[in-house]
Amino acid sequence: MLKTSLIILVLFIIAFGGFVVYDLATAKKRKVVYRFKSSLTAYLMLLPAVILAFVFIMLPILYSLGYAFTDYYLLRPNNINIVYFQNFKDFFEELSTKGTLYNAIKNTITFVVGVVPLQIGLALLLALFVNRAGIGSKIFKVCFFAPVVISLSVTAFLWEQILAPGPNGLLNSILGIFNVPPRDWLRDPKTAMPCIIVLSAWQGCGYQMLIFLSGLSNIRKDLYEAAALDGANWWRKFWLVTWVGLRSTFVYILITVFIGACRILTQPMLMTGYMDHTVTLSYYMYNKGYTERWVGYSSAVALLMTIFIGGITFIQRRIFREKK
Amino acid sequence: MDKRLAKELPNFRPNKTPVKKTVKEVIYHIVGVILSLIFLFPIVYMLATSTKSETAYAESVGTLKMFLPDFANMSTAFANYKSVLLDYDIWKYALNSFIYAAIVIVLNVLINGLAGYVMAKLRFPGKGLLSFLIIFLIVVPVETSIIPLYSIVKIMLGLKQQMSVVGVILPAAISIFNVFLFTQFFQNIPKEYEEAARIDGANTLDIFTKVIMPLSKPIIATVAVFCFIGVWNDYLWPSMILPSADDGTWPLLPIQTALITIKSIEGITTGEIMASLVITSIPIFVIYVAAQKYIVQGFGTAGLKM
Repeated sequence: MLKTSLIILVLFIIAFGGFVVYDLATAKKRKVVYRFKSSLTAYLMLLPAVILAFVFIMLPILYSLGYAFTDYYLLRPNNINIVYFQNFKDFFEELSTKGTLYNAIKNTITFVVGVVPLQIGLALLLALFVNRAGIGSKIFKVCFFAPVVISLSVTAFLWEQILAPGPNGLLNSILGIFNVPPRDWLRDPKTAMPCIIVLSAWQGCGYQMLIFLSGLSNIRKDLYEAAALDGANWWRKFWLVTWVGLRSTFVYILITVFIGACRILTQPMLMTGYMDHTVTLSYYMYNKGYTERWVGYSSAVALLMTIFIGGITFIQRRIFREKK
Repeated sequence: MDKRLAKELPNFRPNKTPVKKTVKEVIYHIVGVILSLIFLFPIVYMLATSTKSETAYAESVGTLKMFLPDFANMSTAFANYKSVLLDYDIWKYALNSFIYAAIVIVLNVLINGLAGYVMAKLRFPGKGLLSFLIIFLIVVPVETSIIPLYSIVKIMLGLKQQMSVVGVILPAAISIFNVFLFTQFFQNIPKEYEEAARIDGANTLDIFTKVIMPLSKPIIATVAVFCFIGVWNDYLWPSMILPSADDGTWPLLPIQTALITIKSIEGITTGEIMASLVITSIPIFVIYVAAQKYIVQGFGTAGLKM
């Protein structure tokens, strides 16, 4: 492993050197002047970050990429064979059997389609709600953010008790007042995923609320006054001033929430375990890699997932980017 | 004034009457309290349960009493806290987490701040490749590299157990997203500050420590708070890297890993688990409330354009 790492390091330095030479060669054409001393300071100041990023971020990614084409089994680290595209072939074969993998993809899509609009919508509504002066709104802001800082294992534990099956579960006992029969919320295939969607949106939206709030604080107040003088009602003010001002914040939030949603793992893991109606793609990958120890196959799934999510993110950026 | 404006601008509506405004305020606060309860109920439940004995808890399950403390036995309300703090040594793990978090925050701000400053303000050949890598690593989600990371750290540190603390701290000291945040923030600091300092004979490092950093309190607070939350809530990675607690010696595990162990101790009551959860949530809450003003500013000034 040490030898491979050194080879990668040398390749990285050569690639970077190539870019440096290219930049220097085209400097005149681009009318840019590089000063030797200033460049040297820049490199020295970058050095700690670059070393750490190389060792702890780039190397693991590259290794994981490489493992996707091998039959790496965790308990057999000294006997790794290159199998080329076998892992990907296995992936699509398993997909065609409509088994766990098929469900995992279906559940992940359900989750993303459900949680992205719900979480962003909630976050925006809450941000608009607390975006005013006064001690009340300050306290509310802290309350709405509270679920974000509580660790997920705590909230999952609490929600499990709320959604507990039988007539004694909190939700069931409340619904019982209205003569709704009790349900096993997390084991019923119809309700399990919606419950996880609501829980996740509830847990995460405080963070996006905060980012929306900082976007709101950047909108100039006189725009609202101008709109008021023109007789704009609440909706037109929101649409023409607030929404336009929040556009770049919105793109940022859309992309980060979407990526986070695609990677959902902890909620189903803590609340239901490995079950067909709540398994997600990340959970499937985790299970293959850690529990069943097929690191090679798991890395191949990761690679496919990265390509897929990256592709959609790229399209999102294209669609929503500000037109110049 | 309003009347005159109303005549000149046919669409202008004068301000609402004071009574209407008060009614609106009252409705606003009622809605706010209801919403807050929706977001706070697990915490209320956690606090309430932490004061209960096991029998009192069993009685309350499934009823609204779940969210109320055990009024009948208020004298023993803190019994769970006492036993958690004294019998399970939870404070040792908490202290570990504080130390890890403090080191990570200092390293993270310095290393990523320096990188962000270079990316925002300095010109050097090869910058294009680095800014591409930064955006690439943020936008493209990279899945599971934790097994290779584990092997790399193990090779680097050898098998000495005391060194494993380094394996917890160093990977947390670098964060591409924080480099991005710092870069965006520094780009909005006007050039004049630096130029003035340069005329006074300051070098680049002086400018960074004496001009840029003092102007960057909001972004430093933002990064520090999220570093702290990250270290404090992380349990998977430390549990892989650190040796489990031996008898007699000071444990190395951080608080969340200890919590998982405490939860599975035989004979522990739900009330005691909840008390330990409350204890571990308090520092995060305090720090967040103290720094939240800066966080909004930090994100706001950084602009976050992807």
